[in-house]
Amino acid sequence: MLHTKNRQKIQTIGLWLLSLCLIFTLFGCGAAPEPVASQKANELASNTTEVNPEEVVLAAPRDLAPGTQDAYYTSIILYVWEPLLTAGEDGEPAPKLAKSWQMSDDGREWTFTLQENVLFHDGEKLNADAVIANFKRYEQVSPKSSPFYTLDSKKSYPGLKEIVKVDEHTFTLKFENPQPTLLYAMVNFSSPIYSPKNFDEKGDFNRLPQGTGPFKLMAHEKDQYALLEAFDGYYGEKAKSKKIRVRVIPDPDTRLSALKSGEIMGVMDLGAIPPSLAKELLKDDRFEISTAKSTISHYLHPNGKKAPFNSPAMRKAVSMMIDREQLVQELYLGYPTATANLLNVTSPFYKDFAIEHNVDEAKKLAAEALGGKREKIDLIVPTYGLNRYPYKAQAEWLQAVLSELNLEVEIRILDGAAFKDAQAKGEYHLALATQGLPNADPYTIFTNYLASDGSSNKSYSLGYKSERVDALLGQAKNTLAMEERRKLYDELQAISVEELPTIPLFNDASLIGNNKKISGYQATIYGTTLPQLEWAK
Amino acid sequence: MLYVVRRLASTIPILIGISLLAFLLSVISPGDPAVEALSMSGISEPTEQEIEIKREELGLHESLPVQYGRWLVKAVQGDLGVSYMTKESVSGEIMRRLPVTLSISLLSVLFAVGLGVPFGMLMALKKNSWLDEAGRFLALTLVSIPGFWLAISLITLFSEKLGWLPTSGYGTWQHLVMPAMVLACGTCAILMRLTRAALMEALNQNYILTARAKGLREPSILSFHALRNSLIPLITVIGTYFGSILGGSVIVEVIFALPGIGMFAMDAIFRRDYPVIQGYVVFTGVVYVMFNLLVDLSYAWINPQVKLGVKLK
Repeated sequence: MLHTKNRQKIQTIGLWLLSLCLIFTLFGCGAAPEPVASQKANELASNTTEVNPEEVVLAAPRDLAPGTQDAYYTSIILYVWEPLLTAGEDGEPAPKLAKSWQMSDDGREWTFTLQENVLFHDGEKLNADAVIANFKRYEQVSPKSSPFYTLDSKKSYPGLKEIVKVDEHTFTLKFENPQPTLLYAMVNFSSPIYSPKNFDEKGDFNRLPQGTGPFKLMAHEKDQYALLEAFDGYYGEKAKSKKIRVRVIPDPDTRLSALKSGEIMGVMDLGAIPPSLAKELLKDDRFEISTAKSTISHYLHPNGKKAPFNSPAMRKAVSMMIDREQLVQELYLGYPTATANLLNVTSPFYKDFAIEHNVDEAKKLAAEALGGKREKIDLIVPTYGLNRYPYKAQAEWLQAVLSELNLEVEIRILDGAAFKDAQAKGEYHLALATQGLPNADPYTIFTNYLASDGSSNKSYSLGYKSERVDALLGQAKNTLAMEERRKLYDELQAISVEELPTIPLFNDASLIGNNKKISGYQATIYGTTLPQLEWAK
Repeated sequence: MLYVVRRLASTIPILIGISLLAFLLSVISPGDPAVEALSMSGISEPTEQEIEIKREELGLHESLPVQYGRWLVKAVQGDLGVSYMTKESVSGEIMRRLPVTLSISLLSVLFAVGLGVPFGMLMALKKNSWLDEAGRFLALTLVSIPGFWLAISLITLFSEKLGWLPTSGYGTWQHLVMPAMVLACGTCAILMRLTRAALMEALNQNYILTARAKGLREPSILSFHALRNSLIPLITVIGTYFGSILGGSVIVEVIFALPGIGMFAMDAIFRRDYPVIQGYVVFTGVVYVMFNLLVDLSYAWINPQVKLGVKLK
């Protein structure tokens, strides 16, 4: 009797547990409803040997469509929305939705003419009214954060008084002060245009983004994937692939495995494939790598507010001691380009400067600055850099190199917030840092780093102050002639190379990899040639 | 019933305590959520004026007791607030991610129990045989394997080489297999060892001798007499294990690209997103307390001699 009772009780427990596990597991799998097309694609994706000819699957380290609360909903590299102006291959402003423009003689008015026959994905027409609605949104939401760029009309369009409709496809921006470099400030993330019916009363998106790009965002599962579909009504050359799914795979090793298993056909976005994994991928002739210049620069920030880096000679000694070419070759396999310039190589105002690497001179300068003593310093490294770049190895490499200058380097790895806090409070000596180009006008980055009250100068405790630089920046602000302005920018670059408010190391490279089953997929300065991607014939 | 009500009531000060602790740990950690919210892109740094405006907007200019009190008042009404970074509802985001974490957790419990307990029984039954030796070696190996290494090895084998399972993502049962195996690995080993030890102790008891004397078969004695009396330590381990993995596992979620609760919490910690950290702590606290309660209740169900809530004189 007891035996039967026991058996029943244990069987009941077992059955309940098993049923609960199965029910919840199935419930969990089915909890996120997906469009039918997505479910089918998922089924196909789950069988790694099958490929859906209708859809190309790519992967990125982060979600490229953060959603309705984001300033842009998607990154520009998904080609869902387009700006008024983009950057050409030379970095100069180039037409996109605005096909031409005219500056008034006093530089206070800019008149833009829009492309005609352009449709938003929801069927609305692009016209001056649509652009005005977007400018009103910029003003309403600025500054609006995003993982890509902060949308801030006050910085992109300083002193904008009004926007006036001239005719159906023409509008004028009127400013309080002359804006000779407005075009450079308007490039890409500073002038995104969406359907005027795409915003709610707060200026956030009220549904999926309705841009004018060659791809429509058809579905988006946060932190999982974005599903793009070619937009038939696109005014320019249409996208070659009907559907592209961009999955989120944060771990670089998993992305590599997904490529090798045929689950994805390519990778995209910053840190898509670290150089060491690119090397491994190239050993397999099924894959290829594409590289292009990048807007990202890598710096070594010195804390200029305290010893020993409050001494310009010590900053110079560190800069001269670092063999940037060796660093780039050994840790980044030669993809980036070594530089001594604060300004990124993709800027149309970039000037090349010789990189000074002189070990003897560096030792002499350091010995004088340190008084022959051995100094203990710390080098802080942000955790967010560790997945994208070989920052740990780079820090150790610097540790070894700088020990020859009598600097005993202690490496501290800090999470993003602690890293920023340490810099702001000046609780560090050296910091590994990356810097994206804020916009095509170098005035912003020069002001941020070189002006006495520049935001980066203060936030990173660079402690840099130069009356000459402040005067040059003031002069640049009021200079209308571009050639005059270029000369000022040249001088600012020369000063930054000489005085080293921060120590530039190299200009990064956009690095992507893909399976040879697809073609037309190339890296660009900021993104890829996604619309040209197609299955290889 | 009274015991359950008393236990549930006792969770309230626990939840307030852990949320307060999490809040204090967050605010004393270096970093400013306003700066984080304004510099998500890392392209440009905010000015002091912009930071001040943001701090005001987020309510960070208020004193710490006011900040915590305001959060607590909303939390008791079921509103865990919105993320400083994404502006999305914390409870909504937890609920969106819960199915992912729940499905992996359940499957991993299924793996751990389904493999750990039978293996442990077999080891106890074949005590000191080669099977027992092999089982002990296997348990030692499983408990020693680092999760990230196992995850990468499984991906290499099952995805790259054999093409049987997808490397990562979420959507079908195949996506859950490898993450669940990685999560189950260590606990499976513990359950093997624990089942073996508990059964071996039970098998030396007089009631087992009686059962044998009655002529019951050995598998029957093991399953329905010895195992039942060994269930309490096993259920304790399974319950606490389940409660802990429902809080998410960052390494497994990152490697297998699973949008679960662990990654959500880790991002929030890195960005000093206080409402998310608070919401996460309350959620995991509730889950953990509930599982502990269920474990306690199961003791009385398994063994009627156990009286819950009765003070011994």
